Amino acid sequence: MVLADLGRKITSALRSLSNATIINKEVLDSMLKEICAALLEADVNIKLVKQLRENVRSVIDFEDMAGGLNKRRMIQSAVFKELVKLVDPGVKAYQPTKAKSNIIMFVGLQGSGKTTTCTKLAYYYQKKGWKTSLVCADTFRAGAFDQLKQNATKARIPFYGSYTEVDPVVIAQDGVEKFKNEGFEIIIVDTSGRHKQEDSLFEEMLQVSIAVSPDNIIFVMDASIGQACEAQARAFKEKVDVGAVIVTKLDGHAKGGGALSAVAATHSPIIFIGTGEHIDDFEPFKVKPFVSKLLGMGDIEGLIDK
Amino acid sequence: MFNMFRGLVGSKSISREDMEPILDKLRDHMIAKNVATDIAGKLCESVASRLEGKVLGTFTGVASTVKATLVDALVQLLSPRRRVDILRDVIEAQQQQRPYVMVFCGVNGVGKSTNLAKICFWLVENNFKVLIAACDTFRAGAVEQLRTHSRCLNALHPPEKHGGYPVVQLYQKGYGKDAAGIAMEAINQARDCKMDVVLVDTAGRMQDNEPLMRALAKLIKVNSPDLVLFVGEALVGNEAVDQLVKFNQALADHSSQEKPHLIDGIVLTKFDTIDDKVGAAISMTYITGQPIVFVGTGQTYTDLKNLNAKAVVHALMK
Ligand SMILES: Nc1nc2c(ncn2[C@@H]2O[C@H](COP(=O)(O)OP(=O)(O)OP(=O)(O)O)[C@@H](O)[C@H]2O)c(=O)[nH]1
Ligand SMILES: Nc1nc2c(ncn2[C@@H]2O[C@H](COP(=O)(O)OP(=O)(O)OP(=O)(O)O)[C@@H](O)[C@H]2O)c(=O)[nH]1
Ligand SMILES: [Mg+2]
Ligand SMILES: [Mg+2]
Repeated sequence: MVLADLGRKITSALRSLSNATIINKEVLDSMLKEICAALLEADVNIKLVKQLRENVRSVIDFEDMAGGLNKRRMIQSAVFKELVKLVDPGVKAYQPTKAKSNIIMFVGLQGSGKTTTCTKLAYYYQKKGWKTSLVCADTFRAGAFDQLKQNATKARIPFYGSYTEVDPVVIAQDGVEKFKNEGFEIIIVDTSGRHKQEDSLFEEMLQVSIAVSPDNIIFVMDASIGQACEAQARAFKEKVDVGAVIVTKLDGHAKGGGALSAVAATHSPIIFIGTGEHIDDFEPFKVKPFVSKLLGMGDIEGLIDK
Repeated sequence: MFNMFRGLVGSKSISREDMEPILDKLRDHMIAKNVATDIAGKLCESVASRLEGKVLGTFTGVASTVKATLVDALVQLLSPRRRVDILRDVIEAQQQQRPYVMVFCGVNGVGKSTNLAKICFWLVENNFKVLIAACDTFRAGAVEQLRTHSRCLNALHPPEKHGGYPVVQLYQKGYGKDAAGIAMEAINQARDCKMDVVLVDTAGRMQDNEPLMRALAKLIKVNSPDLVLFVGEALVGNEAVDQLVKFNQALADHSSQEKPHLIDGIVLTKFDTIDDKVGAAISMTYITGQPIVFVGTGQTYTDLKNLNAKAVVHALMK
């Protein structure tokens, strides 16, 4: 994850504060420059990076501030706060409830990892004892149903799909209906990859969403994405009610900073991360513990709440 | 009054300090357009060293000179020194009575299989017969994906119109088998059946995954393809650099050949999803020095284009 790699750089940048005898504008600027460079290298959206820099700067008023210790603390706390903002939209993710049908719809760009992640999530809940199922509402991509079918079969998860029906709305509706009637608790709907530039694809996503009234819509993002993420994520959120983000392919070298702009753009938390192609390469993601662990600070909460 | 002379430098020579603020802006601009940070920095540096000490004409501003120099550098970067002419090379292979072999590689989900199918369509439209080798024996549905494509392509070009023979064949051995071996069998079959081109689909792999990278190097080494194409998506950010460096590195390290076969060209996919954030084209070309042979601009067979260097640079500088 971006911040995990950044941890070291940020700590070292912050250390330059402790080493400086006086803390003035130059010291702050050079520290911010280091941090911003590291964020940009990790693909964090440039607008977010510039905002972070401005926000930290605006907290510190050099004219009107007492001792060095206080300044250091204020700067540190401002930096932490901004970093946390990057990963934490400040809202809670939807939690499924037992003994009722929880419908979860997956959306995202082409090839981001939706189909793979659908099975991972289903498997995750199944292992915890939930009654879980999968619906393949991707009628577009060649071999999409086979892919989901093979994954689901291997994990012994009931699935629904069709080789002949071409309308994803019909399949989604029928599949969800069937599993609802059979008392399934988790019903996950996989959809085709799409992008904001193609209206008909976005319209189709809306229709599927209307047809199945999902309890949660999960936006799946590839960790290697760069500056184009923000506009796409925002467009998805404007069309349907995205409520959570999953970042995939974090087993590679990618730091996932680009995908973070999806958090800001959709006001939704990251709930899981994908760390490989296998079904159990999947981890729940919790923002606060993640950030404090990364910065090696037990007292980060205290620092931030000031 | 003073404003009238803004940007007027007289006959003074340009210094780094003059250029710094302009280059800083251009670098941020390129990063916002999704050029890898490192490469945006290097491009600016090369402009700076090219211009430092140069004397400007009386009415030429520093900003416009710096910008024009960068534009030149970018257009040059994107204009290949070497043209990959696949149709010509296929005909040459035909004359040698052997199939022309292309391998598609890249990380997961970038569009290898789909763009392989588009290129297959393009070859068929050019009257070649193509065998697709299903060498992704790992990802669920990978074989069925290619089967669906070969069916569709044969439906578009039915055998009746091509002397009774299917124009597209699929060679597949299901899942779990060794990819390099399947590719070899496929090439042999193509030779026997007088197919003109073999398109080898491979499984997506992360550039850091050593066993998988080793397996790819082996596939290329034992099958000596005519063309190794790296498929990368236009959505990718700074990772573009690491992907290409490490794919090339792996092909070099694991080949144990004197002249290892590295990446010959790039397929830049999902170009329709990025608006004007065209920076990945710059990053990928900068790293490899290899041409972008095809640009993928959508999900149907006809969404395959050539790169227009000028248009890309225009979008980038906008
Ligand atoms: N290394 C790695 N690969 C992954 C991960 N998640 C998914 N993949 C791979 O990414 C590729 C694309 O995944 P899919 O699940 O087909 O993506 P999708 O979003 O359903 O694609 P479309 O339906 O075509 O839009 C496959 O090769 C997956 O195996 C991950 O966490 N790590
Ligand atoms: N918008 C758009 N989508 C594309 C393009 N090329 C491929 N895709 C889509 O990207 C997704 C992934 O494509 P694949 O061809 O399966 O990718 P791959 O690299 O073979 O994936 P793996 O084999 O799983 O690693 C599919 O939904 C394709 O339709 C393109 O140029 N534009
Ligand atoms: Mg899918
Ligand atoms: Mg593939």
